Amino acid sequence: MTDEHTTAGGQSYEESVIEASEANRQRFDDGRWTRIFDHFKREWQIYAMLLPTIIWFLVFLYKPMYGLQIAFKDYSIFRGVAGSPWVGWEHFQTLFSNDQFIRAVKNTITISFYNLLFGFPAPIILALMFNEVMHATYKRTSQTIVYLPHFISSVIIAGIVITAFSPTAGIINTFIGWLGFEPVYFLTQPQWFRPIFVGTGIWQEAGFGSIVFLAAIAGVNPSLYESAVVDGANRWQMMWKITIPSILPTILIMLIIRIGNVMEVSFELVILLYQPSTYETADVVNTWVYRQGLQSGQYDLAAAAGLFNAVVAFVLVMTANTLSRRFSRTSLW
Amino acid sequence: MRKLSLLAALLAGSAVTTPTFADGHLMIVDEPLELTIQMNHARYPIYEESWPVEQAARELTGIHLINDTVGANMRTDENTGRTEALNLMLASGNIPDIVGSSRIRDFVNQFGPEGAFVPLNDLIEEHAPNIAAYYAERPDIEAAVKAADGQMYYVPYLPDGKYGRAFWIRTDWLDALGLEMPETVDEYEAVLRAFKTQDPNGNGEADEVPFFARQWPELIRLVTLWDGRAHGSDTYHDFLVEDGQVTHGYIGEGYREGVKNLARWYSDGLIDAEIFTRGSSARDFLLSENLGGATHDWFASTGGYNSLSEKIDGFKWEAMLPPASPSGRRIEEHRRILVKPDGWAIGHTNENVVETVKYFDFFFTEEGRRLANFGVEGQHYEMVDGKPVFTEEFLAQGPVNRSLYQAGAQLQARGYFQDYDYEWQWTNEFAKAGIELYEQGDYLIPDFLGVAFTADEQQVYDRTWNSIRDYMLERQQSWILGNGDVEADWDDYLAQLDEMGLQELLAVMQSAYERQYGAK
Repeated sequence: MTDEHTTAGGQSYEESVIEASEANRQRFDDGRWTRIFDHFKREWQIYAMLLPTIIWFLVFLYKPMYGLQIAFKDYSIFRGVAGSPWVGWEHFQTLFSNDQFIRAVKNTITISFYNLLFGFPAPIILALMFNEVMHATYKRTSQTIVYLPHFISSVIIAGIVITAFSPTAGIINTFIGWLGFEPVYFLTQPQWFRPIFVGTGIWQEAGFGSIVFLAAIAGVNPSLYESAVVDGANRWQMMWKITIPSILPTILIMLIIRIGNVMEVSFELVILLYQPSTYETADVVNTWVYRQGLQSGQYDLAAAAGLFNAVVAFVLVMTANTLSRRFSRTSLW
Repeated sequence: MRKLSLLAALLAGSAVTTPTFADGHLMIVDEPLELTIQMNHARYPIYEESWPVEQAARELTGIHLINDTVGANMRTDENTGRTEALNLMLASGNIPDIVGSSRIRDFVNQFGPEGAFVPLNDLIEEHAPNIAAYYAERPDIEAAVKAADGQMYYVPYLPDGKYGRAFWIRTDWLDALGLEMPETVDEYEAVLRAFKTQDPNGNGEADEVPFFARQWPELIRLVTLWDGRAHGSDTYHDFLVEDGQVTHGYIGEGYREGVKNLARWYSDGLIDAEIFTRGSSARDFLLSENLGGATHDWFASTGGYNSLSEKIDGFKWEAMLPPASPSGRRIEEHRRILVKPDGWAIGHTNENVVETVKYFDFFFTEEGRRLANFGVEGQHYEMVDGKPVFTEEFLAQGPVNRSLYQAGAQLQARGYFQDYDYEWQWTNEFAKAGIELYEQGDYLIPDFLGVAFTADEQQVYDRTWNSIRDYMLERQQSWILGNGDVEADWDDYLAQLDEMGLQELLAVMQSAYERQYGAK
């Protein structure tokens, strides 16, 4: 996405600065290190702003990688990471010979697929709909209402869901009762878990997720719409021919990010909503890791499962990025 | 020390009521000694130095415990995450002098042999005459606390009293419908059905919930009504021992029969439709809304709901004997376990090991035990006829258990021998009546006290048990909810369990069991 805002007559201010500094650099070209030093001296404020993020990455994402080695060790908390003996691929063998783990992987992918299929378009559709709302107060009010669930914690969301789907007091079953059917104990039936879980996710996050698309829509050049009006296009045509193509790069970037998170189903919500009777469809890798690894202290096995998760996510995001770059010239890097 | 404890016994025996603070016969050290402690148990997440019991123990022994608990979750009453707190403590590399926790046994039995905790056998032999005397009387309990290497790594909390949970029923509903107290499982079913269909609460709606439970595994306990077994100890889904063989309740014929019948009860509406999701408020809600008819729950706390008779006309809620199974057996599967996996241990960096063991022993002396059970004399109890009796003012302060935790008594993470009298003194009349009813027969069965594994056995257990348990519970709930038929699925179920390594696991449990308690 390049910036088209150059002034008609000549260079922008930034360009003249860059040109001046280029000239400077050529004049005093006394070595690479001086150039780097000069660069930092000149741009230090930008790097200072970058610093917190770099520190965050180092402390929370790179330092913990040291601990990944316990996936290949017989880890004892008392002996520590360095003191525990190596066991090679043993934990991975345990994982892949465990039917429940395989099932958890399948469930994770299935739930993520549904999330992608139904959950990904939802905020886009919502954003397009908001874009068509003309009445300002109505628009603001409804936007606030759909953003709200995002700020409610998962525990409370789960409480609302459990109550709403309760077979005796829940609003859903009350409706079903009015229609003359028997109440359904939704949360103990495996076939209902995924629809409820995916639906809950959409209800909670679609509003907040639409913000980024609304921002993209706001960036569309108004002159495009003006000329479309002149050409006699209706709103539907403008949406299909202008709005959607204009925000397509944003959509693709969001999709790539989303694909990278395919293995990350929001497991706190799963834990709060699942039951042994719904493990069959609800048990995802992270909940399995929680039960097997953390509750029973098998950190090494949990680390192996986590590493597997990360590798799959890495491959997925690489693939999506490559495909996107090839077919649409939009990519994360 | 042996002489001193003799003196202690004499003092207690002769009913001396004067404070024992001054004479110093229980003093362990000449100079006050500070020991750090991690303490985190089901009811309270840290050790408070201001507890009256700690203050009294300081006066008596000269040992000061300094709180050094990591990973405490101070935000909840029902403290969770104890095991995580222990792991965090170990991972931090700083193990305090004393570590007390609920569910500490498996933890110390794993990390004790690795060197994180001090082995206690010789120390108890030499320096803890009162603990040693207790074990001399109860070799079964001594066996139960040992790790696979034959060493003890913790001093346990030993509950007292026999009875835990019981069957409870709305006897005023029985009267209202003209029914007798059910004596067999068929009669029990008929009563529950009448609760469902004959509107005992008289509001014109069939909104009664015949059987409910705060913890859904209590529902599974009903398989004992068909000669099945559910939980081998007060840990849910635990193994059990039959004729010297370790086995599991969820693979028995009686269990299959029980689940089949429970599924039928569920589909007929005799069991709370929301049994698996209603959670801990079930008892409170269903009883106070005049909806619940029967449950299986603790004597004391459940009996307390009779105070609802002020609100609900005629409310009467009494314990009933376990209904007889088709073969005529009456079993109450739950009892107070003889030894909890809770207690305290000595960290490997402790430099005053002998004094610490003597301090542990203090709570097995007459005075120490009284202190751990009843709190401080004059403040919480008075001696009456040689026995500690809670004062009226103290009992009036609210829930007695909580008041005691807040004074530093009845801590589940302290190694001590509970005195059931502490509880009997404020047990409500309905619970007492129930316990006396159960006392007339012989309904309790022995608990499985657990085994300690070697490293190899532990590996088998770690690899198999969690998956097997998940699978068992998954099938169990599905069958009861009517997703699948236990009779049709049973052979596949057993085959799948074997494939998941159940036989291997049972073999490991068996060898550990025989090592620990001796082959039978």
